[in-house]
Amino acid sequence: MGDLEEEYDYTKIPPTGSAEGIAAGAPEDSPRIGVYVCHCGINIKMTVDVEDVMRYAASLPNVVVARHYIFMCSDPGQDLIRKDLAAGRINRVVVASCSPRMHEPTFRKTCSDSGLNPFYYEMANIREHCSWPHGDFHKEATEKAKELVRSAVARSALLEPIEEKLVDVKPEALVIGGGVTGMYAALDIANGGYKVHLVESKPSIGGHVAQLSRTFPTLERTASLLTPRMIEVGAHPNIDLMTYSEVEEIGGYIGNFDVKVKRKPRYIDTEKCKDCTPCIEACPVKDIPDEFNEGLSTRSAIYIPFPFAVPPAYTIDAEHCLLLKEGKCGDATLETIKEGKAVPPCMAACPGVIDFEQKEEIEEFTAGTIIVATGYDLVNPEVSAEYKYGVYPNVITSMEFERLLSPGGPTGGKIELNGKEPKDIMFISCVGSRNKQVGNEYCSRVCCMYLAKQAYLAKEQLPDANVTVCFQDVRAFGKGFEEFYGDVKTKGVFYMRGLPGEIYKKPGSDRVVVRGENTLIGEPYEQEADLVVLGMGLAPNKDVESIISMLKLSTSVDGFLMEAHPKLRPVDTATDGIFIAGCCVSPKDITDSIAQGKATASGSLRYLVQGRAVIEPAISQIDEEICIGCGRCAEVCPYGALELDEVRHVMTVNEAICKGCGGCNSVCPSGAATMKHYRDRQVYAQIDALTEVTDVGRLAEPESASAAEVAAEASAGAADTGSETGEVEGAETEAVPSAG
Amino acid sequence: MGTLYEDMVDYGGEVFGREHLETLRECVQCGKCTGGCPSGRNTALRTRKLMQMALLDMREEIFNAPELWFCSTCFTCYERCPKGVKTTDIIRTLRNLAAKEGHMSVPHRMIGVYVMKTGHAVPIGPAQMELREAVGLESQPPTAQHPQNKEQLEQVQKLFRATNYDAMIDFDWDTMNLRGMDKGGKK
Repeated sequence: MGDLEEEYDYTKIPPTGSAEGIAAGAPEDSPRIGVYVCHCGINIKMTVDVEDVMRYAASLPNVVVARHYIFMCSDPGQDLIRKDLAAGRINRVVVASCSPRMHEPTFRKTCSDSGLNPFYYEMANIREHCSWPHGDFHKEATEKAKELVRSAVARSALLEPIEEKLVDVKPEALVIGGGVTGMYAALDIANGGYKVHLVESKPSIGGHVAQLSRTFPTLERTASLLTPRMIEVGAHPNIDLMTYSEVEEIGGYIGNFDVKVKRKPRYIDTEKCKDCTPCIEACPVKDIPDEFNEGLSTRSAIYIPFPFAVPPAYTIDAEHCLLLKEGKCGDATLETIKEGKAVPPCMAACPGVIDFEQKEEIEEFTAGTIIVATGYDLVNPEVSAEYKYGVYPNVITSMEFERLLSPGGPTGGKIELNGKEPKDIMFISCVGSRNKQVGNEYCSRVCCMYLAKQAYLAKEQLPDANVTVCFQDVRAFGKGFEEFYGDVKTKGVFYMRGLPGEIYKKPGSDRVVVRGENTLIGEPYEQEADLVVLGMGLAPNKDVESIISMLKLSTSVDGFLMEAHPKLRPVDTATDGIFIAGCCVSPKDITDSIAQGKATASGSLRYLVQGRAVIEPAISQIDEEICIGCGRCAEVCPYGALELDEVRHVMTVNEAICKGCGGCNSVCPSGAATMKHYRDRQVYAQIDALTEVTDVGRLAEPESASAAEVAAEASAGAADTGSETGEVEGAETEAVPSAG
Repeated sequence: MGTLYEDMVDYGGEVFGREHLETLRECVQCGKCTGGCPSGRNTALRTRKLMQMALLDMREEIFNAPELWFCSTCFTCYERCPKGVKTTDIIRTLRNLAAKEGHMSVPHRMIGVYVMKTGHAVPIGPAQMELREAVGLESQPPTAQHPQNKEQLEQVQKLFRATNYDAMIDFDWDTMNLRGMDKGGKK
């Protein structure tokens, strides 16, 4: 490449320059395009000969002026556009620079600030599509840049002005999920003075965090941190808390989402329930695995999930209650209750509070914005069959161990298995995550630290126990994490490098043997343990698929919800007004979940405070003169934006719902459905310009084709398509000496 | 000759598919392979270490390591590897390369000798013959080992000559055994 580099010495190109275009004398009402080629510092310039591209641009139809500049997005760069607009030289702008995702909004604003409709702006991406991928091919990249500019110019000439539209925003938000993320999002919006509808499918808010014993790395009791916030949510005048409820239906668009929520019957008058215990004692069904304790204890059919639940009210589990499931509990049936004869034991123990006549209720409201915070599920521990979860009772999940550590848990906070204190405890990291075989390639982010915490608490409670953590890496990346990891090891927890290969039962004993390799000394070991804790990874919550489809959210390959941009828009979605936060986006700890929850509150408040939102202007448009009302467009529309006007028998577009995907455009048999800003003729012009046969794009051909042949073919091609090529008259380069 | 990795991908790729050999670079040294290895429980085989040595281009060390031949190709590690490293294919490729360069283990070469002499990797011995007779079968089944099928055995031997397998294991046609077996079979 030595020759090319010499030929395209990017250091020799001055920071700016200009060339008069061939349409310089064109009438004012015709398209008069200004083309601005950006160096992006050296990002474009080091590969693409920007001066050459500028001169080429000046030779294209309708181009009045072409310029190049070191940073078009900088203020002096934008000034070049502003000055040309102010002088009335141009009425269309093409910038050849980076991706529209990066700077389209910047340059649209440059145009609108100067009084030009922003949709007269067009972009050619000569960085991501050109200089970056073709870094070693200067000549070819330059030719490709010319083609991209030619294509943008062809489209630019056909652009039409579009007016942006505003919609009113109902100043209320919907938060789906009452875990720590949803709670903090709801609190910020509510404290900002706006109403929040908080929907939680479980009987209480608090989510998984309520199950945890203590936090890492600060070892604070989670319950004492969480309870005040839960109470605040439950009592907040701006929060309409809907627990034991599920979102049934969501329609509409930003500012005006129509929401239907199903409130499941609790069969309890929550106003009157005193949160005492006689009903539990009376209930004859007592063997239901307690979800909150991960099945380590049992509960009755009438229950409160945990003592500090919000709302502090009981629920009758219809799946297990004898009266609701089998129609009969003791002598009581629904009829006998009505007749005032036999009542079930719970009603006898607590008269006037239990009501078996309660029915499912549907609540409808409108929300301006939606926050999705639906959380996670633990990975099924049986995916790593070699660890024998479910086979040996000594093997438990990390969440079960959390419950053993919790004072409110099944053992009152004592680490014991079947009433016995373990002497040898082993923790295994990365179970169900960072594992292609189980389909979860991602790191679950929290396991390293919760295992460190659990090992620390185990060693604290049982100082004589041998506590070993088997790990492949320890990722202690957060604030105070690395220091805590040091403390855990100093406490006497042994960190053994290497993931165990398998677990088997020690013959003639109730202990198990963990087999693995200590990879740091390269020797296999077989170590006995009474208790093995699997550091389970986090997976997306499976119960929320209906919400994902209702809101048309996208998921990443890992199954978690997809952000609008993984770096720059971490809590936005592709749909305006819908935000995502917490572990439904990716595994994260309490701190990060709260941060995201608060970020979505901020994103929501932006709309709620303003009371209006700009809607996507590049959307579908029906030509009512042509439309026959066949409805094919409505069938393919993923957003439900198209409806038949029964009277005129033509389709109509709901401009607030349409996202401009173009599905209707492609299926419309009559050509009535078109996309604003992406009209067929605009797109075809772009394609035609790209496929045009010119000397551009025909580089050094194999030796068989002589240069003369290529040139002859090129000029013939140019004549066929009627494109104007030729020397640029009066092309000038204003060399500006660079400062410093 | 490129790096060991490159040779593995080229040579093993033809048999197992290049993408299988390329998984070697995904190894994170977690040790789950050694941890569950039925052979490594009793032998010096450290699958994880072999992967690292291969990446470190330790060609001579691997080719001269007896444990390269201790893998029973049971595929336990292959199924459990969290990163989907095709461990067994990688070990088999290492063996193929080692064999090509004259580093095959004596027991593995001896298997070649058995095939050369009988057509069987595990020939039928006196004990099996007795057992067969006891249940009323002919002492030998009609395979290449059977004296009446001498032609078949000759075909096997022809194949070995054609593929130079005899040279690879250093087979002595005069003694019908490995050359220099009296000196421990080393070349």
